[in-house]
This record gives sequence, C-alpha cells and structure tokens, in this order.
Amino acid sequence: MGLRDVLGVGRRLPEPGTPLAALAQASRVDPRTPLAEVELLALDLETTGLDPGRHEVLSVGHVPVVGGRVLLRQARHELVRPRGPVGESAVHHGLTDDRLADRPDLAQVLPGVLDALRTDTGPSGEVGRPVRRVLLAHFAQIETAFLDEACRRLYGARVALQVVDTLTLAQRMLRVPTPELATGRLRLDACRRTYRLPRYRAHSAVTDALACAELFLAQTAELAEQHGRPLRLADVLTR
Amino acid sequence: MDVELAEIRDFLAQHPPFDALPDDVLDRLPSRCSVSYARRGTVVLSPGDPGDRLYLVRSGAVDITDEGRLVDRVGAGGGFGMSALVEHVPARYAATAREDTLLLELPQADFDALVAEHPAVAVHFAATHHGRITAAITQLQAPVRGSAVLKTSVRELLRGEPVSVAPSATVAEGARVMTRAGVSSLLVMQDGALLGIVTDRDLRRRVLAAGVAPDRPVSEVMTADPVTLPARALALEAMLEMTGRNIHHLPVVEDGQVLGLVTTTDLVRLERSNPVYVVADVQRQQDVPGVVEQAARVPAVVAQLVREDASAADVGRVLAALTDALTRRLVALAEADLGPAPGRYAWTALGSTAREEQGLGSDQDHALVLADDADPADPWWAALAERVTEGLEACGRPRCAGGAMATNPRWRLRLGGWRAQFGRWSDEPTPDAVLRAAIFYDMRAVDGDAGLVDTLRAEVVPMGGRSDLLLAHLTAQAARMRPPIGFFRGFVLEDAGEHRDTLDLKRGIGAVVQLARVHALRASSTALGTGERLAAARDAGLLAAESATDLSDALELLSYLRLRHQVARVAAGEAPDSHLDPRQLGSLDRRHLRDAFAIVRSAQQGLTSRSPQVG
Repeated sequence: MGLRDVLGVGRRLPEPGTPLAALAQASRVDPRTPLAEVELLALDLETTGLDPGRHEVLSVGHVPVVGGRVLLRQARHELVRPRGPVGESAVHHGLTDDRLADRPDLAQVLPGVLDALRTDTGPSGEVGRPVRRVLLAHFAQIETAFLDEACRRLYGARVALQVVDTLTLAQRMLRVPTPELATGRLRLDACRRTYRLPRYRAHSAVTDALACAELFLAQTAELAEQHGRPLRLADVLTR
Repeated sequence: MDVELAEIRDFLAQHPPFDALPDDVLDRLPSRCSVSYARRGTVVLSPGDPGDRLYLVRSGAVDITDEGRLVDRVGAGGGFGMSALVEHVPARYAATAREDTLLLELPQADFDALVAEHPAVAVHFAATHHGRITAAITQLQAPVRGSAVLKTSVRELLRGEPVSVAPSATVAEGARVMTRAGVSSLLVMQDGALLGIVTDRDLRRRVLAAGVAPDRPVSEVMTADPVTLPARALALEAMLEMTGRNIHHLPVVEDGQVLGLVTTTDLVRLERSNPVYVVADVQRQQDVPGVVEQAARVPAVVAQLVREDASAADVGRVLAALTDALTRRLVALAEADLGPAPGRYAWTALGSTAREEQGLGSDQDHALVLADDADPADPWWAALAERVTEGLEACGRPRCAGGAMATNPRWRLRLGGWRAQFGRWSDEPTPDAVLRAAIFYDMRAVDGDAGLVDTLRAEVVPMGGRSDLLLAHLTAQAARMRPPIGFFRGFVLEDAGEHRDTLDLKRGIGAVVQLARVHALRASSTALGTGERLAAARDAGLLAAESATDLSDALELLSYLRLRHQVARVAAGEAPDSHLDPRQLGSLDRRHLRDAFAIVRSAQQGLTSRSPQVG
C-alpha cells in the first residue's frame, strides 16, 4: 500500500510536500475494518455542470462521520472562484459571479479538502500513522470526477479514493423506486424521505454533505439490522 | 471557523429554550453539535450511563422510561440526558428510540459554556428534568394514589363499538353516520382493516373550507394510516401521543382488530383534580364506601384550585357543589335501600354549605322540609337522616355541634311546621333562639322538591325582615362577633386551649357573614351568598356601595387566607381548621388582614348605629 494507490496508469507521481502526497502516504482502510472504526468524509461539490473537463467547482462542503456520529464541529464550507463566468448554472445553485468574485480559487481550496480526507488520530484519539478517510457522497461520480480532474490539473496526479455512495446503497437496499434512479443526485431528498429524515430546503454544499451523512447513518442502521451483525467497511464500500 | 449550518440552526431556532437565544449564539451552536441516528428500538441511554451530553430529538421520537414505566415521550425539538447536565449524576432513566430517530448531541462542556452565558437554557432543561422526576415519582406512587392516567389502560376507556364506514361512502353519508351516532370522529374501514379516520375537524378543514363536494368518497378527505395505540397502552401514553401530535382521536387496536376509539374527552374525564369529574364519579357510586372513597379526593381538588389561584368564592362554590353531590348520592343510596319516600320532601343545606361558602372541614348542617301532607312521624325520615348524616361524617364532614341536622326531629318539619317555627323566631326571639335561628335563614334545597324551600323562604324572609326584634338581636349578634382588631398591636389572640396564640379567621368571616345576613333580611332579600346579600342591601339603599364592595373584598381575603391555611394543614397531614398563626403571615398579608378587620369593625359599628336596638 502507499504511493502506488494514488497513481493512475501512466501518470506521474504527486510532487512531494503537496497535500496530495501527504494523502498518498496515508494508509488505505482495510475493508474488513468494523464500520464503527472507519472515518468517512461526507463531501458535496456544487458545480456549473456535470463534465469535469468543461465545468467548474463553485463550492465545497464536507463533514466527517466518525464512530457513527456526524461531527458538525469539523464541517467546512467554501465558495470557490471559478475561472470563468458561472453562466446559466446560477439558476440551479444560486451562486452568482458577484458572490464568488472575492473567493479563493480551487488551488487554494483543494488542499483543505485533501487534508480532510485523512486523519492523524485513530478512533480513540491516539496519534498513529495517518489513515485515509473514506469519501462519502450521494451519486459520488460527480465528486470523484471533479476531484480527480482538479488533482490532475493542479498536482499532476490522480487521487484514488475509497468511496461509499449513498445512492448505490439505496439501490442495493431497494429503497429507491427505479424510475427515480436516472436523475441521480437530485434524488437525495427522495432517499431521505424513505427514512423520514427531515426535509432540507436550503441546498448548499455543506447542507447536502450533512444530508448525505445523515442518510448514511440511517442506511447503515437498517443494513446492520438486516445482517444481524455489526457492519464492516466492505459491506458498504462502493469502490 | 464556524460554518453556516442553516438547517440545524433553523431547527434550533424553532424550539425552546434555543428560540430565545441571540442570533450570534444560535449561529455558533450547530457547529458545537454532532448528529447521530438511532434505529427504532435502539437504547440510546441506559440508567447509570455516564451521560456527558445533551440529546435533542431532531426527528423521530424517544421514550424515557423508569424501570419500564413510561415517564415521558420526547418528540422533535425535545431533549433528554439531563441527569448528567443538570444534576451531574449518571443517567437516571432509559432512553429508547420509539421511532427511527435523528439526534443532535451537544457535549457537556459546550452545554456548560452555553449555560454560563444564558442561564435560561439551564432553567428550561432543569424544569424538564424536574418534570420527568415528578412524573417518575408519581408513577412510583401510582399504586397508592391510584392516579387514573397511570393505572388505566386505553382498553378501559373504550365505550362501545367503533363507528365506521366503507371508503366508498360519501362525505355526506359519513357526516350523517357521525351525527346519528353522536360521535366526533369516524373510522374508515374495509374488511376489518383500518384505512383512515375522519374527524369533525377534517370535515371543517378538508371539506367545508376546501370546498370539497359532499358526494366525494370519504377516502379522499380521511387521514390515511392514522396513529393507533395497542389496547394495553396506558391512558398516559394516549395523552402523550395526543399532545405530542396534536390529535384528539386515537383508534385502539389489538391483534389487527380495531376495538374502538379513545378521545381527549375520555382522557380529560380521567383527570383527577377536576371537580366536574369528581362529581360525575360520585354519581356513579353504588354504595356508601364508594362515595366515601370519592370524598377523599376533595382536599386534592381544593389544593389544586388554590394552586391555580382560584378565588375563595369560587372554591367555596366548588366545595358546595361537591358536598351537594355527596349528599345527593347518599340520599339516593338511602332511598334505594329504604324504599320510596313516604311523601314529598326537600333535603336542605344550612349555613355555609347553603351559602356556598364552605371551607375544608366545615360541619354538616341540614334539615328536612316535608310537604304538608307528609307524616313527620314516619320512621322513614329519621332513617334517611341518620344514613345521610352518617355517610357525610364518613366523608369527613363532622356532625354539627349545635345539632342543626336532619337527625334532630325538631328540624324535620312540614312546611307548616317550619312556617310556625320561623314565625316564633320573628315574633318572640330570645337571644338564645336567635343564635339558633340565624343559620336557618341560610337554607338551600339540595335534593328532593326544591319548590318546598322556595315557598317557605318567600314567606319567612320578609316576615323576619319586618321583625324589629329579630333584626335587633341578629344585629347585636353580628356586632358581638369581634374581629381581633387590636391583634397587630397587642395581639388579641386566642388565649387558651390548643389554639393559643393563633388567630381564628372564622371570627372575621363570621362577622361579615352575619352582617350580610342582617342586611339581606332587612332588605327582604332571599339571596343566600354573602356577596349577593351585600349587593342586595346596597341595591335596597341599606348599605353604601363602597361598604358593600369593601366587605366583599374583606370576606374574600379572609376566606382565601383560611383556605390557604387549610390546604397547608391537609398537606401536612393535619385536620383543616381556621386558626392561623399570625407569625407565619407575610407583611403584605398582615397589612391586608388588618385592613380587612378594620373594614369589618367599622361596618359593625355602622350597622349598630342605624339598626333598631334591643330594648
């Protein structure tokens, strides 16, 4: 384990000293680890579109899930200044060029995200070898694809994360009516409703990250009951 | 760095005590919390757990139990885990997710920091915690005290088969079924399965207000899959469900079968301290011990009324109503046993019960008025009087020391006999006779033929009012009942016996009562209540409006102080009396009391100077 895991085929090594290199040196989580001991980072990105090659990240929200608890104290929310105008997409996320004008750009925000994706302390607070956090997202392709693209562009290397996708979990647990699957991440609210979780009206990256984390808690509680035993990471891992 | 967690912030802002926090504090609070999730049935907290955080229910519901007994049901916005936070001891109660529940957790350190700046937060949770402890203690005492909501299962509250219609029935048909059955809600059922419920409120909101045509099927306006309760659930649970969800009807099910419906009215009926329901319960009793058992609830009713700050006048009326109910039930039970009465008669209350100005521990004073064609010598009357008197005594109403009771053959007279008796009191009163007579001018029919008493009083009250001699004696008597006016200087207290160094409020109250009685008699008014008598005297121009008001106020104050004293005595396990230790009065009460006595004294002097004197 180690550096090889963050290397895509034919790609270069991340430059030493970068946040990506630090993440690369943190160890992967063994899928057999009890889920209660795994740290996850619920992440949500707001973007101008779905294509990481053409579209821009406008905001980043994340919050860790540790030991079955969503730690709001470590919740973070950043608005990101894009390289060009947000255009029509403002209709969906409500983020205007004016609001984003004096925000940091992605190069300034990305290190914080990568730092949040690893932890230096074990579940009981002991300081040990840095360990990765598992990425937690709803319809995680968006988050992984945009992160990948940003890392490639800024650090010249890919990031290979372990991922838990709450939409995949929902599909596996047959908790989402099939016709709704196509619309992907927009269905976060629908998934939450099946667990009678509170309806969130204000959509922002950090709210959606929290909404995803809460959904994950509900899903794993149900799944553990179905299995009749405590879950391991492998039970929920998407990749 | 504080991240704006708008949804959590807005949630907190909607619920006490957080709703009262300043905006900047509310903004920071969410980031102090973490979120956890408890699947239905999960134990969140067990007794003895070292609680180190406040739990807030974000969605779902949590049951707080004490050794299996439900203490509280916490819904969205409610909190638990207070033992640690408020008392700094391990968790007292178990907290179990009743539904799938999302929880917000605030660590102890952050709670303490918040409380240091905003003590109201601590007060709120301490009060909630105190409420739970009280509920838990009440539960522990339930077998002794027999508190109804804790002892009664919803099964016992069911009355009759549920009223239901098929989902295809029209709204109009449903409304007709409800009207015919006299119910406020209707179950919608198909093949024995409960599909929904329609209530009066639904008909108003979802039909009339929404302009839905009455020929639409009820299934369109019903609440589908309504909340239900198992038949073994306690009334307390029904109460918690109803208040928690703001609903008024709960279908009760057992093995998938709908047994019936529990409504808020059913629960209110269980309410122990409501006099109306005590009266209803008294009326249901089939024997004297049952009546006596109900009578034992009366001091609690009065204590509750005093706590709710009811006026002494109101409490007096309630006590009279309760005594009336006990009396009527005892009369009915006696009649059931003795056979029908050998003639028309009225059972009457005398004195404070007649005036509806009772305190706790008042004597029983009563008499029988028989129709002129009845035979007073028939042993039936004596048997009735003895049974009712004995019953009332068992109910905590001591026998009248002066013998003014229906057990005394002198006070079991035919209408004509009473007429003659009142005539003697009017025409040839001796001071001794007047003492006895006064109480008979306070006479109210409690049971039987009230017309007999009306007839009697319509004649004898004006007769007394025309008798200067009677008025003079009653006036002298009223003036003799000296309120201890010098009490605040030299302390004129009872100077002997067990009530040494106390102040008998009855003397002040008695003085006002007697003044009002004389005034009413002079005005030939048949009014019974002291307040109404004073008003009648005022209207007849016999009493200045100001004096009438002052005397009423003085009576209210004295009666209130007596009630408060009596409630405290009963709470301490002592017999209620009217002997107040003035040292236990606050300075304000003392000042008021002194004013009240001064008012009474000056009214006595005014009466004496204007009334005919005993020659």
